[in-house]
Amino acid sequence: MLEENTMDVKYVQTTCPYCGTGCTFNLVVKDGKVVDTAPYHRSPVNEGKVCPKGTYAHEFVNHPDRLTVPLIKKDGKFVEASWDEAYDLIAKKFKQYKPDECACLSSARVSNEENYVMMKFARGVMKTRHIDHCARLCHASTVAGLASTFGSGAMTNSILDIAESKCMFILGSNTFEQHPLIGRKVMQAKAKGAKLIYADPRFTPTARQADLYMQFRSGSDVAILNGMMQEIIKNGWEDKEFIAKRTKDFDKLKEMVMKPEYSLENVSSISGIPVEQLKTAAEWFAKAESACILYSMGITQHTTGVDNVRSVANIQMLTGNLGKAGAGVNALRGQNNVQGACDMGALPVVFTGYQKVIDEAAHKKFADAWGFPDGICEAKNGYEVTTMMDVLADKPGELKCMFIMGENPMISDPDLHHVEKAIKNLEFLVVQDIFMTETSELADVVLPACCYAEKDGTQTSTERRVQMWRTAQAPPGQAKLDWQIMSEIAAKMGYEKQFAWKSAEEIFTEIAKVTPSYAGMNYERLNKPEALHWPCPTVEHPGTPILHKEKFAHPDGLGQFFAVEFKPPAEVPDAEYPFILTTGRCLWHWHTGTMTRRSDDLEAEEPTGWIEINPEDAKALGITDKEIVRAMTRRGEVNVPARVTKNIMKGVMFMPFHFKECAANVLTNNALDPIAKIPEFKACAVKVEKIQGA
Amino acid sequence: MVAKGEMVYAWTSDADIAAKAECGGAVTGLLKFALEKKIVDAVFAIKKGQDIYDAVPALITNPADLKDTAGSLHCGTLLLSKLVKKYLDGANNMKIAMPVKGCDMMGLYELAKRQQVNLDNIIMIGVNCGGTVSPITARKMIADKFGVDPNVVHKEEIDKGQFIIEYEGGHKGISIDELEEEGYGRRSNCRRCKLKIPRQADLACGNWGVIGDKAGKATFVEVCSEKGANLLEQAVKAGVIKTEKADPKGIEIRKKVESAMLKLGDKWRAKDFEGLGEGRARLEKIMKETSRCIKCYQCIDNCPICYCVECSTKKPYLVKPGEVPPNFMFHLIRFAHISDSCINCGQCQELCAMDIPNALFMHAQQTELEKMFGYTPGVNMDLPLMALVEEREERDRLSATGSDQIFDIFK
Repeated sequence: MLEENTMDVKYVQTTCPYCGTGCTFNLVVKDGKVVDTAPYHRSPVNEGKVCPKGTYAHEFVNHPDRLTVPLIKKDGKFVEASWDEAYDLIAKKFKQYKPDECACLSSARVSNEENYVMMKFARGVMKTRHIDHCARLCHASTVAGLASTFGSGAMTNSILDIAESKCMFILGSNTFEQHPLIGRKVMQAKAKGAKLIYADPRFTPTARQADLYMQFRSGSDVAILNGMMQEIIKNGWEDKEFIAKRTKDFDKLKEMVMKPEYSLENVSSISGIPVEQLKTAAEWFAKAESACILYSMGITQHTTGVDNVRSVANIQMLTGNLGKAGAGVNALRGQNNVQGACDMGALPVVFTGYQKVIDEAAHKKFADAWGFPDGICEAKNGYEVTTMMDVLADKPGELKCMFIMGENPMISDPDLHHVEKAIKNLEFLVVQDIFMTETSELADVVLPACCYAEKDGTQTSTERRVQMWRTAQAPPGQAKLDWQIMSEIAAKMGYEKQFAWKSAEEIFTEIAKVTPSYAGMNYERLNKPEALHWPCPTVEHPGTPILHKEKFAHPDGLGQFFAVEFKPPAEVPDAEYPFILTTGRCLWHWHTGTMTRRSDDLEAEEPTGWIEINPEDAKALGITDKEIVRAMTRRGEVNVPARVTKNIMKGVMFMPFHFKECAANVLTNNALDPIAKIPEFKACAVKVEKIQGA
Repeated sequence: MVAKGEMVYAWTSDADIAAKAECGGAVTGLLKFALEKKIVDAVFAIKKGQDIYDAVPALITNPADLKDTAGSLHCGTLLLSKLVKKYLDGANNMKIAMPVKGCDMMGLYELAKRQQVNLDNIIMIGVNCGGTVSPITARKMIADKFGVDPNVVHKEEIDKGQFIIEYEGGHKGISIDELEEEGYGRRSNCRRCKLKIPRQADLACGNWGVIGDKAGKATFVEVCSEKGANLLEQAVKAGVIKTEKADPKGIEIRKKVESAMLKLGDKWRAKDFEGLGEGRARLEKIMKETSRCIKCYQCIDNCPICYCVECSTKKPYLVKPGEVPPNFMFHLIRFAHISDSCINCGQCQELCAMDIPNALFMHAQQTELEKMFGYTPGVNMDLPLMALVEEREERDRLSATGSDQIFDIFK
């Protein structure tokens, strides 16, 4: 009566593949297949708890849509191919192009090891300087902004530390939906008496928990922060000792924020926040024993993204809220391994650990360590993904060949018509992914990869904690590990020696050798539930949960104030496009939906997109709830169901960007921050119309 | 002849097990015997994962692997019962033996009533449980209150009202009362628990009442069923388990320990339930706390009472999909479906992403319902209240009130 196969049940501890919180859970493996998730109580980050995406993180793993064989496009149609055929074609093509004609997109979804291999492949095999990934679209402004203020572009404190805070200001993050288990830390701090200040154009689930909710017009962040700083300085609440000992250029900041433009009255008219609320926020924040800021895309995804980040850094230096418990600039990174992909140098300006490409010594270090007989890419910065798309669309012929791993710019990037034009201008496109995506549809070769449940590797969460993925099942069909695919292509192109790893662990050992902030890490140490936070320079080093304790990471150890002037978004409402459109995620779905929309329980919660409209605006437009309306910007138009809700500010509209059938990014503006080259997803001008005859 | 109701001191004759296990290793010895003699196909138990704070469920078919499950893990807060339903086909196709604490056992009974597990195929070896401590709470408690690095602790135990740790270079105990007053200690559902000796299992085992020269070297075993009697008898006959009659004084002491624990449980119940308020105040508190729900479904997935294939909370006409927090109906459905049978296992609270005291809410309702209707969940095969309701009769009664409210609590 005993069936042999019912006897095989095991738990495999792994890290969540969705947001940057870094929750651990178990995958339940029965008869060799992942069938469920189960709590892992021992995780210091999430203590066994997960959000809905974690609960259902197994549902897409064995979905019938998984890619299982290499595909080559012949006469406009994909035809199944052997790995050898695919590799031969790719190797032949890749060799045809000059380095500057090639570009690579790495992925914040895959492991550190795989990002490292892609980085090495781009710079060593293709010899191109053009490598980037979607961090460009989320926290490029953080990396640039915090690197210039503090000398290091990462979240300063740890997730657990948020629970120690006495005052939390959440600006540009819907923490409860986007980083739910960090939302839990916010609630723990609140339970211990901390105040929560929340600013958002939408009354979100996070707003419900706030002690002070400030509804504001998207894009006025610098004005709000400058106004609060003026109020703080006026009242003498600034931390004079911190400013004197640990920072420089305070006078420049002071001169700027004390200008009459940043009086609370004026900031109120820019932002829409009542003066009294701004006053209360400034007072609570400045007087708290410790105060932290949590922010995410609401701060970064603007043409003033770097300005916004610098303003956040300014107010924290002004109030001495750095380098101590319960304080800090907590830039919540959106994707599971966006921190790690940046750490691994999948960016056009740095190698691993932010060692600059243009630094001759760093360039030589990598060239020597890798030992490519014909050298590596030139010591020159490459194109950002947003620049790549512009070059492709506007200067056809400059870039010809692209290699994309685990990214879907055809849904995730701004102004999708522009992206489509760009990608169609490519001569040769290789995409490796776990599902056929809107992007891979346009590829010449599609390679089937492993998902998180099928691989070992590490990923670095938003708090710089490096944690492990562990193999739970075999990949479907002929799918292979991302690093293995790249290594095999490299071997075909004559670089077998440089890509000779047998395991993810061997790759990690190489990473640790060339990356000072990871130098003290190894799989044995990372396999512990607490894992390690970088920087971790030696094998004895305990890791660094809180940055900038004694001094900042600049050579002089000082924090740099930047006087930042408020600038409106690149596109503001006018008579023709009278509303502000802002975009974001919802709790149930992940980015371009390739995984979550194949998870039945998640898809059932929100099966399609919507546009949120304030009831007064809806009434003026004659639009009712659930009606399909036409949303239009200067870039394009989509038909989308209206969601009439008082939870959104009058004059502002919101769309989630997960849904291809009503893709918000058809509408968004490809205007870029001048420094970080991040697009302004969070504000553009939109109009909405009834569909006639509908 | 071993008979139901008998109480003995028992220990293993297997030196390997004795070295690793606690209190003479009777439990591990019995499990090993059951597996070796093919009385069961597998043992489903908890083993130590990465460290003493990490409990991992394990399905064991090789008797040699059983040594990994020996010893107690008070930081093991998981509930095994639902896993039998979810991953072992409800033990319908295999015979298993399981060490069970009170809540594991109660969960199995409730699942069995709902035909989700087959108790005929399960040997429940009950183990006394004074309560468990969540792993991260335990580590924080050891660092803050004991002043010891939790990474160097190699053993923890709960004995004589103290939480005791052993570490390189020493051991230390602090009274549980003191720890719990300061917010550490056992999970709140464990504090309220009144099923400390699982007598409704096949055997009830533990160290309470083992006195004299057998103290620390034998396990107190109460034989609770024919199945339990058979297993023990065969093991004794085979010479793998040794027994002697329990000392009458030991039996008294065991009772005393139990009644002290039960009194403590009553104290915590009074305190926790009082804190909830009554009537409207209680409802308002529940509504406020549940307003941070993110609908992660862990409370439902891990509840040993939930078993529906189609969950009412996923019916769009009852709970609007996509809403965060979900409509209060989400929680009302849980209360309506579970509260009569809640066994206070604590999973819905332990695993709540937003630390909503779900177990407290449900347990408070269960105790009220128990007072009203006399139904005690988890201790036998008696059917739950809802199973006894005549639906048509109830609908007629409701219809006659001329309202859709059975109780108008807002009056």
